[in-house]
Amino acid sequence: MASLRASLSLDRVGAVIAVLIGVALTAAPFVTYRANRIVAGEGRMLADALPPAGVAAVVLAAIAAAACAALIRRPAIRLAAAALGLCAVFPAVGVSAGFVAPAGNGFARVSPALGFWLLALAFALLAADALMRLRLGPWVRLAALAAAGAAIALLLLSGAWADLSLMKEYAGRAESFWREARQHLWLALGSTGVACLVGLPLGMLGHRIRRLRTALLQVLNIVQTIPSIALFGILIAPLGYLAAHVPLAAALGIRGIGAAPAFVALFLYSLLPVVANTITGLGQVPAAVTDAARGMGMSARQRLVEVELPLALPVILAGIRIALVQNLGMATIAALIGGGGFGTFVFQGIGQTAIDLVLLGAIPTVALSFAAAILLDALIDLTQRGAHDRD
Amino acid sequence: MIEIERLTKRYGATTVVDDVSFRVEEGAIAVVVGTSGAGKSTLLRMINRLVAPSAGRVLVDGEDTMAIPEDALRHRIGYVIQGYGLFPHRTVAENIATVPRLLGWEKRRIAARVEELLDLFQLDPGEFAQKFPHQLSGGQQQRVGVARALAAKPALLLMDEPFGALDPVIRSRAQDDLLAIQRRLRTTVVLVTHDMNEAFHLGDRIAVMDRGRLLQYASPGELLLRPAEAFVEQLVGTAERPFRLLSLTKVGEALEPGHAEGEPILLSATLRDALSQLVWLGREALPVVDAAGAPAGRISIAQILRHGRALP
Ligand SMILES: Nc1ncnc2c1ncn2[C@@H]1O[C@H](COP(=O)(O)OP(=O)(O)OP(=O)(O)O)[C@@H](O)[C@H]1O
Ligand SMILES: [Mg+2]
Repeated sequence: MASLRASLSLDRVGAVIAVLIGVALTAAPFVTYRANRIVAGEGRMLADALPPAGVAAVVLAAIAAAACAALIRRPAIRLAAAALGLCAVFPAVGVSAGFVAPAGNGFARVSPALGFWLLALAFALLAADALMRLRLGPWVRLAALAAAGAAIALLLLSGAWADLSLMKEYAGRAESFWREARQHLWLALGSTGVACLVGLPLGMLGHRIRRLRTALLQVLNIVQTIPSIALFGILIAPLGYLAAHVPLAAALGIRGIGAAPAFVALFLYSLLPVVANTITGLGQVPAAVTDAARGMGMSARQRLVEVELPLALPVILAGIRIALVQNLGMATIAALIGGGGFGTFVFQGIGQTAIDLVLLGAIPTVALSFAAAILLDALIDLTQRGAHDRD
Repeated sequence: MIEIERLTKRYGATTVVDDVSFRVEEGAIAVVVGTSGAGKSTLLRMINRLVAPSAGRVLVDGEDTMAIPEDALRHRIGYVIQGYGLFPHRTVAENIATVPRLLGWEKRRIAARVEELLDLFQLDPGEFAQKFPHQLSGGQQQRVGVARALAAKPALLLMDEPFGALDPVIRSRAQDDLLAIQRRLRTTVVLVTHDMNEAFHLGDRIAVMDRGRLLQYASPGELLLRPAEAFVEQLVGTAERPFRLLSLTKVGEALEPGHAEGEPILLSATLRDALSQLVWLGREALPVVDAAGAPAGRISIAQILRHGRALP
């Protein structure tokens, strides 16, 4: 009886989510309709955006999710409700695109509007909240990530979204989309990788040598505060000089503008989290442990490889996670100086006031950062061997 | 056997260990006592060269430690510190296997040795081998720390406040266990503590240090009867002296012929235990039996008191 009452009492996060859902259903347009790509759009409420069966399905799923969010504590049920909501609203917005646009009108554009975004946000919050309370193990979280990726791929490949403006933007430039995607990944992953190759040894040295540590952290902290545009500017001169005077550099495609300065800037930015966390992680190894290791006759190399690095690994990985997530987002800026990446669409879209083109660049960027964060968090958990049980 | 010769450590202008010499016989336990900052840990850490001496030398079985490569020397000397320094990311079995693994022992030999040590320290291998240090109680961690130090059968064991973090009950059990194991393995032990009871309980010889200097190195009885300086007398504790003396003597040494009524006392008990029993039961004398339970004679209060005097 008591447990039933407890499980039915009002949940605060859930109440906020329920209100979000209520606002989305009653007060915000579900999609925006525009006669062509760049004219101002007009909102369509849910009732006018879908065939009656679709409206009913979305409303029922949303109300069910809102009720679960507000009243039910069991995380598994809340997760199921969130999944139900997402499974209803994502295909629905694709159906809506075909329903709202007049048949045969190639210029008409339909985009998700505030109502859709609020519903998606509410369900995503509910899912995130439930996942957090479920305290899933790292492997289950990785499986959930894979499942979410598969669901999105299915949605896109099935053509359910083909009529949405976003996908029309994509269809028109599929080839360049994938080219920029590769470029974006190369910029972000490559610069983070080089930062690890350089930062880990630097961090280890910094751990050993106090004066180097102070200098290193000061310099990297200063680098971190330089705005990216300014850093690009600073890099133009030396890289341009390199390109002009070193034939090999020019042959490798190094120029004052383009991918090279973007890569170097991202590398410099990610150096701080990698170096700082390596130093912190090594510094956190208990003194008694290193003392015992030394007293048992472990050489400096054995201590580093067998004791210090394994114990520091979770902290070091946390630094790499910061660097990677930061670079996946910041690689967008590379487009400003012709470095390519998803930023290309963002800035083109801003130039043409075509919001869907902006989204074509922004959504994959956010998704990548999100996936990288989940992936590395799981990895960090997996490396905490012998750490206190999670309870 | 270990010989410490004129060992000195200076940090800048301050002398932390000042010209200390003593020698520990094979299979004996030497306990180093002194107030905080006296230089006990520094002295101990110069033996396995964790701290480089400023002057003097250490001989292990006649061999100058400076002639042995640092890591090889430490493989031969067990080392236990306060807090134990167990590797948190390694299981109990992996922790214990550390030095044998560094020495390149065969896998099967290591596994057998780990099991043997777990048995010796009364830790069921099936239950404990695969546990991580944070899953153990303080007393269990302490035993794993000593087991790890003994893994490669060192002839010498250095212990720096190995029982410092244990509660009194567990501590006295751990001390008894250490004594039993040490008597069995005949390991030479140098142990640092600032607990005088521990020093008298464990030490064959006690080294008293103050501000870097070795004030006296003697057997517990000698320390009580002939303290070299006022500081030693004070450290030993004037009020405690007769009782410490009694706890150093076994009932067998104060035995009288004849009978007495009451609960028998073991021949191997200390005079302190016997006195406590006599006072508690309100008797003048009690019968004494040997380990097999056969009567050996009697012990009386008068006889005990005679053993607690400074001058016999
Ligand atoms: N690396 C060092 N540099 C400078 N001084 C040191 C260093 N190590 C120890 N000392 C000093 O040497 C003195 C003796 O230290 P030590 O650790 O040997 O004392 P201790 O007798 O073990 O004390 P405690 O009982 O508190 O452990 C202390 O005053 C300490 O400050
Ligand atoms: Mg000390």
